[in-house]
Amino acid sequence: MISGFILRALEGKIVVAIAILLGVAILVPALNLLVPAGSAFHIPTYVMALMGKYLCYALLALALDLVWGYCGILSLGHGAFFALGGYAMGMYLMRQIGSRGVYGNPELPDFMVFLNWQELPWFWHGFDMFWFAMLMVLVVPGLLAFVFGWFAFRSRVNGVYLSIITQAMTYALMLAFFRNDMGFGGNNGLTDYKDILGFPVQADGTRAVLFAMSAIMLALCLLIASGIVRSKFGKVLVGVRDAESRVRFLGFRVEHIKLFTFVVSAMMAGIAGALFVPQVGIINPGEFAPANSIEVVVWTAVGGRGTLIGPIIGAVLVNAGKSFFTGAFPEFWLYALGGLFIAVTLFLPKGIVGTIQHGFSARKAMKAAREAEKGRDIGTPMAQAAE
Amino acid sequence: MLIRFFSLVFLLLSLAAPSLAQSDPKPLIDALGKADFKQAEALIGQIAATGDPRVVPALEAFAEGDLYVRKSDNLVFIAKPAGAQFTLVDPMTSEEAGQVAKAAVTKIRVNNNLRRVIRSALGGLTLLSPDRAVRLSAADAVLRSPSPENLELVEAALAKETDAEVKTRMEEARAVSLLSSDRSVEEKRAAIETIRNYGGRDAIGILRAAYGSVDASLQPDIDDAVASIEGELALWDMAQNVWYGLSLGSVLLLAAIGLAITFGVMGIINMAHGEMVMLGAYSTFVVQEVIRTNAPGLFDWSLAIALPVAFLVTGAVGLVLERGVIRFLYGRPLETLLATWGVSLILQQAIRSIFGPTNREVGNPSWMSGSFGFGGMTITWNRLWIIAFSLSIFVALLVLLKRSAFGLQMRAVTQNRRMASSMGIRTPWIDAFTFALGSGIAGIAGVALSQIDNVSPNLGQSYIIDSFMVVVFGGVGNLWGTLVGAMSLGILNKFLEPSVGAVLGKILVLVLIILFIQKRPRGLFALKGRAVEA
Amino acid sequence: MNFKPSIGAKLGGALLAAALSTTAFHGAFAQEDTIKIGVLHSLSGTMAISETTLKDAMLMLVEEQNKKGGVLGKKLEAVVVDPASDWPLFAEKARQLISQDKVAAVFGCWTSSSRKSVLPVFEELNSILFYPVQYEGEESSRNIFYTGAAPNQQAIPAVDYLMNTEGVERWVLAGTDYVYPQTTNKILKAYLMSKGVAEEDIMINYTPFGHSDWQTIVTDIKNFGSAGKKTAVVSTINGDANVPFYKELANQGVKAEDIPVVAFSVGEEELAGLDTAPLVGHLAAWNYFQSVESEANAEFIEQWHAFTKNDKRVTNDPMEAAYIGFNAWVKAVEAAGTTDTDAVLDSIIGVSIPNLSGGTSTVMPNHHITKPVLIGEIQADGQFEIVQETPAVVGDEWSDYLPDSKDLIADWRKPMECGNFNVATGKCGGKGS
Repeated sequence: MISGFILRALEGKIVVAIAILLGVAILVPALNLLVPAGSAFHIPTYVMALMGKYLCYALLALALDLVWGYCGILSLGHGAFFALGGYAMGMYLMRQIGSRGVYGNPELPDFMVFLNWQELPWFWHGFDMFWFAMLMVLVVPGLLAFVFGWFAFRSRVNGVYLSIITQAMTYALMLAFFRNDMGFGGNNGLTDYKDILGFPVQADGTRAVLFAMSAIMLALCLLIASGIVRSKFGKVLVGVRDAESRVRFLGFRVEHIKLFTFVVSAMMAGIAGALFVPQVGIINPGEFAPANSIEVVVWTAVGGRGTLIGPIIGAVLVNAGKSFFTGAFPEFWLYALGGLFIAVTLFLPKGIVGTIQHGFSARKAMKAAREAEKGRDIGTPMAQAAE
Repeated sequence: MLIRFFSLVFLLLSLAAPSLAQSDPKPLIDALGKADFKQAEALIGQIAATGDPRVVPALEAFAEGDLYVRKSDNLVFIAKPAGAQFTLVDPMTSEEAGQVAKAAVTKIRVNNNLRRVIRSALGGLTLLSPDRAVRLSAADAVLRSPSPENLELVEAALAKETDAEVKTRMEEARAVSLLSSDRSVEEKRAAIETIRNYGGRDAIGILRAAYGSVDASLQPDIDDAVASIEGELALWDMAQNVWYGLSLGSVLLLAAIGLAITFGVMGIINMAHGEMVMLGAYSTFVVQEVIRTNAPGLFDWSLAIALPVAFLVTGAVGLVLERGVIRFLYGRPLETLLATWGVSLILQQAIRSIFGPTNREVGNPSWMSGSFGFGGMTITWNRLWIIAFSLSIFVALLVLLKRSAFGLQMRAVTQNRRMASSMGIRTPWIDAFTFALGSGIAGIAGVALSQIDNVSPNLGQSYIIDSFMVVVFGGVGNLWGTLVGAMSLGILNKFLEPSVGAVLGKILVLVLIILFIQKRPRGLFALKGRAVEA
Repeated sequence: MNFKPSIGAKLGGALLAAALSTTAFHGAFAQEDTIKIGVLHSLSGTMAISETTLKDAMLMLVEEQNKKGGVLGKKLEAVVVDPASDWPLFAEKARQLISQDKVAAVFGCWTSSSRKSVLPVFEELNSILFYPVQYEGEESSRNIFYTGAAPNQQAIPAVDYLMNTEGVERWVLAGTDYVYPQTTNKILKAYLMSKGVAEEDIMINYTPFGHSDWQTIVTDIKNFGSAGKKTAVVSTINGDANVPFYKELANQGVKAEDIPVVAFSVGEEELAGLDTAPLVGHLAAWNYFQSVESEANAEFIEQWHAFTKNDKRVTNDPMEAAYIGFNAWVKAVEAAGTTDTDAVLDSIIGVSIPNLSGGTSTVMPNHHITKPVLIGEIQADGQFEIVQETPAVVGDEWSDYLPDSKDLIADWRKPMECGNFNVATGKCGGKGS
């Protein structure tokens, strides 16, 4: 069915995807809230929460694909931006608890109270305001990406070296957030939220809105990403990916191009994290773990890097598989997951979407060759995606 | 001499308590059967005070937890396990007293405190032993648990001692015991000087402990002595830190050196590298299990036997991995990351299914246990061996790469595959064996790491990131870079640790690596030439 | 699940289908004549090392109970899931167990993070979690039963033992840098200072998770111990890092007679990965040791060996906690005559069941239980020799040694029904003040 969708049109596929996402944003909450629980059409809250989580992961994978698939920067630290966005949201949610914490302290979150913190650390100020927290969701990952990228791209750190130092970055952040002295709750992280904007986070209505927001934000980011890669800038971006030196010799400021993309991608990851936290109910330093960032790369690769739809499908499929197997075969699911990664890299090197596209474009090219005798312009799937 | 000794014992007896007029230790030993910890402590004092050398085996057995009381008659015996039963031995005469079922006896419990008291008592009792080694350890025991009761015993032994080393130790023991006695200020001043010469952390501890109890006029002497020892130790502390750094560096080197080949030379982002290390550690475990059940005498050789086994096992796994998966991915380094990540998940879970998720016990052979003092430093044998081991692997690998035909072909293939191929080198096989070599080396690193870390399915995960950092920091494709990188990261870490703590130290090292890569984007020892542009 | 066509062969369809396949699969296995209980322990990832044993223990307990005829005339069925040491996944799996599998109660979690992650889920969906691991306290939820030790059931008696029996005057509090050691050390520091220990006689040291290079820290401990006062180490070092720590201690010649180490996270299972001969005399404080001499324990060990088909498998304290939690739940369900959460929550308070150390454990109104505290010394065979046993102690959820929690109590009986009642203000803090 996905193949049918992709085969239909290359040009309008983003529009279709966005339409579907918006449809999901309306339909799923409606089926959850309006359809009675007994009906076959009812979507249980549990499933909606799960799908909301997948959508956040899909957004994260989309963000990674923007830098990896279109700019050639393999970031093994995108989980860090995701987690930072999540922490910004988590801090807002912690402040919203107010005096309903177990110690009844109106200012300090519980974990600070029992570790004898006397006052709120400076970086916690402002997070009681929603707009400020939302700003931080964008600013903190964006700033980190900017500073990191500024140095790294200017020094022309690339390829494997860049991947490894992004991994070092997320690893260092993980260790730092594990420290209780940092003031982010140590390994327990931030949890037991009560309200978001005055609505209880546990309520079905709030969940439905959060789910809808996730779908809408994913659609929006898809639109932005698509806009970027289809613009002239996007062509240069692909040029940077495929032949960085040549683009530089043509007079483009490669480091600026990379930096811009990296920062945009980090902000998207931050948004994904911010939407993830209220839906799963916890953010902790485990999200910074290098293994998590590698998993994001895997989703993207499974779905197909260098296609905008691929990472979304990859993230959803892999995570749905994980949810299913961890319940159905708790002892053996790692074999299945590991086997999937090997199989995809060996047999579907372009990922699911990439392979289907490739097959389609090959067929189209053959048809074109038959009909007009000039079908040699097959090109790469990526080039077509950028059309 | 002997008369003096006995008179001493008598003196002690009369000092201790009137009830101690008893001179036969047997009833005292039997009384241990019903005593609680406090009573047992008093009883040990009384037993030691008899001065009867026949109580030594009983006390030793007590400290080891081998002393049992027979339920039928409340008599105390030394019990030795004999199959499902115990062989009972009379604590005084060492005569066998038959075998009993385990249920027929109850163990007499011993705790740290009692062990300490026993050690001190045994020290006093064995100072006059004809065996030089026993006398030395007795002097050590007295030295480590100072008590004024031992003073006269030490002095008696000292007068008789002829061996120079034992004599020095006894003099130190005497000084220590003297500090807590009621001797004159002058004698104590001399004792402080002796302890100062003894030096080391222990001396500081002894002096500080005595600080409160000695005459006020002696306190400046103690301050001086402590300050002087600390002055000496400050330099040694630096040396100790460098040593710790080298030792940590050697562990990093071990973990990274296989990766320096698979990743550094071949360009495969081998996320399953850590699992190869883990497989090596589990090979050691299996080898030791086989040895334990079949040939316990060979245990000290277990690591030597495990080395080739681990190399072959992980090398074979590496070979299969290369032929089965990686060879399809050459030229797509980032995709090797995904595939090997999958492999690492499968290997971890496989080990978990086979050996269970919990830690497995890998024993340390005797030559890898314990430590020795070197000046003011403590050097543990296992760390020393690991440093030596990692350096010898490094040298062996260097020789293999630079001096052997295989090394030549390997370098040719990595530098220019097509050219090498046209020269008649079978590049696929070179690839396969290079990967197998890298994996095999990771495996033997696992043998060494099993000596200092957990042997669990998670073992590899804890080293993989550090390994990549080392290789990237040192410079991809250069073994010397890996060596220098590992050692400098190790030392840096160990110098940061005391001042900022282990957690922050590690974070700072990572940040420094990130900054360093900005400065030298290709690591410490960058490969020069056109190859790097590829 | 036939709404799929309504969306069509589209991206969203894939998304829904994937998610719902989970539902469909689990639905297919539902059987009407059993009572399901959830087992929520990590079987992969970093915590699998500790938690897999507890999963096995739960399966054994279920099997034994079924041999006795089950509960309320129905067989028990354990639903095992793998939260993979991933804390958000714990919340997801908890939600799945409760709302999809409709389990009557869940037994699980190990780390505090995982418990914190699932706590809102259990409160929202009103189910019951039995948490079998020692923890830092400072929590009491209506839906959670804490059958492991609170700090006063482990840490404080251990420190008392060292102070009174071994005459320790100088303390190294060494821990992994996370919430349990941080809180425990805060409590211990306050406790020690209340006993007249000077601040300079307390050294606190934290290390990262999985720390494996202990050379510097062991040297620091030795140096700290050379101040002429009897020194001991109180270790809250997390499971995995203990093996290299003890190896380094042994190699650097730190003997228990000189500087004893008392650990709160080292049990039989951790020692199974170690040569314990050089560690004889180092201590651990738990509520249960395998070496406890009681009939119930002998039977339990025998069952465990039979169940795992391995007579070398050791038992440990969290297994006993799981045993107590499980049996308390069974008894409460039989008393209530139903597995309904509210009824069980009512009937379980005050339930007394025999524990494995020869006494009984009672579920208290604060959802903690009474247990004796045992101090054991490590033996050369990897077991512990019990050197002290206290009478049963009530788990104290709100520590008396932390300024903000000393006024709080928990009592989940009617009419109070509060997990954080402030005796100073007379208000239930959790409901807003």
